[in-house]
Amino acid sequence: MNRKKILKIVAILAVAGLLIGGGIGAYMFFMPHRDIQKSPTDFALTSSELVAEYLNDMEQANQKYLSADGESKILEITGTVAGITEDYNGQQVVLLKEPGQVAGVSCTFMQETNSNATALNIGQSVTIKGVIRSGVFYDPDLEMHLNAVLEKSDVVF
Amino acid sequence: MKTTKILLTAFITIVFSMTAFSQAGDRLVSSKSHIKFFSTTPAEDIEANNYSSTSTINTSNGNVVFSVPMQGFEFPKALMQRHFNNSDFLDTKQFPNARFVGKIVNLDQVDFSANGTYNAQVEGEMTIKGVTKPIRERGTITVRGNSIEINSKFNLTLADYGIEFVKGKPASNIAKTVEVTFVGEYQKQ
Repeated sequence: MNRKKILKIVAILAVAGLLIGGGIGAYMFFMPHRDIQKSPTDFALTSSELVAEYLNDMEQANQKYLSADGESKILEITGTVAGITEDYNGQQVVLLKEPGQVAGVSCTFMQETNSNATALNIGQSVTIKGVIRSGVFYDPDLEMHLNAVLEKSDVVF
Repeated sequence: MKTTKILLTAFITIVFSMTAFSQAGDRLVSSKSHIKFFSTTPAEDIEANNYSSTSTINTSNGNVVFSVPMQGFEFPKALMQRHFNNSDFLDTKQFPNARFVGKIVNLDQVDFSANGTYNAQVEGEMTIKGVTKPIRERGTITVRGNSIEINSKFNLTLADYGIEFVKGKPASNIAKTVEVTFVGEYQKQ
């Protein structure tokens, strides 16, 4: 009787363990991508401020904005629209760059947010939210400054 | 005397800026590109896409450069993307950009001024995760009016760049050699 009870408890624990383990495994496997637009903004600043921070000290800026697991900081960047193009994935790319600056912030939109990018005009001031993928730096081989890259972007209204 | 000096300075400045301008004119910049990683093992196929690299091609000396923001690689599964970025794999916080610096070695067989598709051989150096290795690639250059498109497909051995898995799921599910596809579009000025 007593032994049966123990066996029963052990069996229940084993099944529960399997379910929890399997659940965690399945959760990890099917874990969805972070929804950038629904996630809170980490930093809000102007495109000139971000460019200046990177040009001043790239190492320090990378420490501040990039995360080791690739889920880097979510930024709201305010700046002037200097260009609107389309990438190979059919996504709109809005460049925020102030006149006379060596670099700006390139913001890649998504299929769902593309229409908000195409509605923008060159020269307009706008705030765009997205996740930072890389910062601004001078590339001696490209012989130019690279723009910071924001992805999963949308206009902040 | 003074006027001659000023005129001379102005003349030299103009000549210099003209040469600088003509050199810049041969160098085309593209931020429209697509880089794809493809790994296949009996366990699974893994694909990642990046649309945000910047590259230049110099049509007069054949120099080709591209810089790839590594965190811009997107995977179908969020966990794969995390693994890709972390310090055991590509350590993208420490090494946010990969780069290729090379040259088209058969430039005499490519005519950037005439429409057509040309076979190109590129030799150069690839830097991934801070490790630089020589690389030879084959590709095609397609000239269509004002646009130039470069296509290339080549293999990368991960261990060459210090990316090695000895145990666990990544060791069995990620191929030792991955296929990389590159497409970039440049506009003639």
